[in-house]
Amino acid sequence: MTYKISRRAFLQASGTAILAAGTSAGVLAEEQKRTAPVIAGNTLVPAPLPKAKGPRVVVVGGGWSGLTVAKYLKKFDKDLDVVLIDRNALFVSCPMSNLWLADQINMDFLTHSFLDAARNNGYIFFNATVVDLDRESRKLYTEQGYIDYEYLVLAPGIDYDYQRIGVEDIEAEYYIRNNYPGGFVNASEYLTLKNKLENFRGGTFLLTVPAGNYRCTAAPYERACMAAAIFKRNGVKGKVLLLDHNAEIKIKKDGFQNAFEQLYPDIIQYEPSVDIQSINLDSREVESEFDSYTFDDASIYAPVRASRLIEHMGLVDPQSLQKEAHIDPFMNHLVGDEHVYVTGDARSQPFSKSGHTANSEGKFIAEVIAAHRKGERLEWRSPQTMCFSGVKIDPLEAMNIITYYKYDKERKTFGFDRVHLVDVWSVKSGQAGLAWAEGMFKDMFYT
Amino acid sequence: MNYRRWLGFLHVILGIFFLVVTTFSHADEITIELRFQPNLENGKLVYEICASCHLPDGWGDKDGTYPQLAGQHQNVLIKQILEIRSGERDNPLMYPFVQERTLGNYQDLADVVAYIATLPMTPEHNKGPWPNFTKEYEKGKKIYKKNCVSCHGKTGEGNNKQYYPRLQGQHYAYVLRQARMVQKGLRKVDPAMLAVVKNLSREDLELVINYVSYLPVPDKDLAPFKDQ
Repeated sequence: MTYKISRRAFLQASGTAILAAGTSAGVLAEEQKRTAPVIAGNTLVPAPLPKAKGPRVVVVGGGWSGLTVAKYLKKFDKDLDVVLIDRNALFVSCPMSNLWLADQINMDFLTHSFLDAARNNGYIFFNATVVDLDRESRKLYTEQGYIDYEYLVLAPGIDYDYQRIGVEDIEAEYYIRNNYPGGFVNASEYLTLKNKLENFRGGTFLLTVPAGNYRCTAAPYERACMAAAIFKRNGVKGKVLLLDHNAEIKIKKDGFQNAFEQLYPDIIQYEPSVDIQSINLDSREVESEFDSYTFDDASIYAPVRASRLIEHMGLVDPQSLQKEAHIDPFMNHLVGDEHVYVTGDARSQPFSKSGHTANSEGKFIAEVIAAHRKGERLEWRSPQTMCFSGVKIDPLEAMNIITYYKYDKERKTFGFDRVHLVDVWSVKSGQAGLAWAEGMFKDMFYT
Repeated sequence: MNYRRWLGFLHVILGIFFLVVTTFSHADEITIELRFQPNLENGKLVYEICASCHLPDGWGDKDGTYPQLAGQHQNVLIKQILEIRSGERDNPLMYPFVQERTLGNYQDLADVVAYIATLPMTPEHNKGPWPNFTKEYEKGKKIYKKNCVSCHGKTGEGNNKQYYPRLQGQHYAYVLRQARMVQKGLRKVDPAMLAVVKNLSREDLELVINYVSYLPVPDKDLAPFKDQ
């Protein structure tokens, strides 16, 4: 298909440009005065997208969940017209980024193109920011216009919740976000953290494990190992201080315990049950109920909450401490609306907030939506979680765990089911972790 | 077929297909056969990576999450491993563990399947809801006789040479899940198999797989019952 622009239209367009360039500042100000108050102006036009070729499903968020849902919607029902929206123009994976910190893989390994994903899997990628939702008229608003949907899948991921570690005012929150980024949400955070670890010249490097169901259960412990390995490799006399809100290591406990003690005995200081009450930014001190800890540099992993988009759209489950969406715990649709689904880390079920979980859940939810369109219902299927944790570098050695989930009717929540744990590290498991990620990227972007 | 006896002197034959596409012409498919003398000791070491899910005895999980490997034909195992390795068969859980860098090269592959073949099968695999003498069992039997016998055999013994899986002793929930995936187009299979499964209703598929789960496993292939 080719697009043509007529000569006349071209002249008109360039004429306007010349005219604009030649106008006086006074006219421009007048122009702005006229248009500025219409803040929603851009959003009230149809988004610049091809016409829907079938029932349109819009997926918000091109992370592990959204990418999988988009791909598998097309697989289960090729008549669907699928649009994946992300505010970022480039995908940078959070899973595996710990290994990149310690140079076990390069940035290319983590970085992938949304265009490839869309082209290879037959859907539309739209690089835009979602601003609002009108469920009555089934319209999703982006900063570039609205999109009419038949089904909507929200996979916007997480944000940090600094208030839960005693950071109340916005000045302090901004300072921490910028100077001690958690490194679990966006690529700039990963890069800053890598620079910090690489350039660390000694002293105490603080890492924290938050309360609640945070993203990637094993990652803060793995990261402590990677940071320690970097200091060891660089010959830096540095200490990794790992302050854990939890009473003990949350996953692969014996394995990580052994790694801390056997591999990094003089480097990692692990402190469980540290409930951070406040952070003094001037003296670089963290206060818990009983103790205080000083640090020279840090990456502070605050507790997580669902993306603010969920709250902004009014979809928060009032029971959810992490402001996650109010959804059916089996089929992931909003309670009372089977045309809007929430998947990935913004979901309210206590599943592990991890890449593999999002991928396996995404396949199921795509199937649920395809079935709903045909008036069919599926039986619930547990997501899978598979998680590799590197503890040693050059060569990389890792541990791994595979688990499913089971619904506990009495407690009305989910627990682990069919857990297969390998908490002894090995080179083979390290290689399996790399192969796992390659397989996942292949699934989401290339085949 | 005396499956165990020829084990010791077995040569595992691998069919590797190369599809070479050049700019100028489609080259024909080339089949290369490689022969390996299996080493059971190494096979046992390689099997460690499998054991974390399929368990050390190769019995898998009764709820069907992981299939029983014990007793399965070697060619069938090799075919599945290679198809999962290449991504031809979509299995994200197993994919990382069957790559060359994790499971090993073709020799290791031959070794591990030869080792698996030495494992006796579970005496109590997972079975369907309808035992012998029920109406459903009989219905399933009829469907099996009509559609499945020609490849999988009268007693579900399969065929190593033809890569037809042995069905006896496999967990009901596992076979049902796989068959449903085939029905939905999520697992690629031989066209003949696809045609059969596609033509069966959801209910008939359940009935036939129920029957399959009651196909008796020869005593000589079974491990003794464990004392609880």
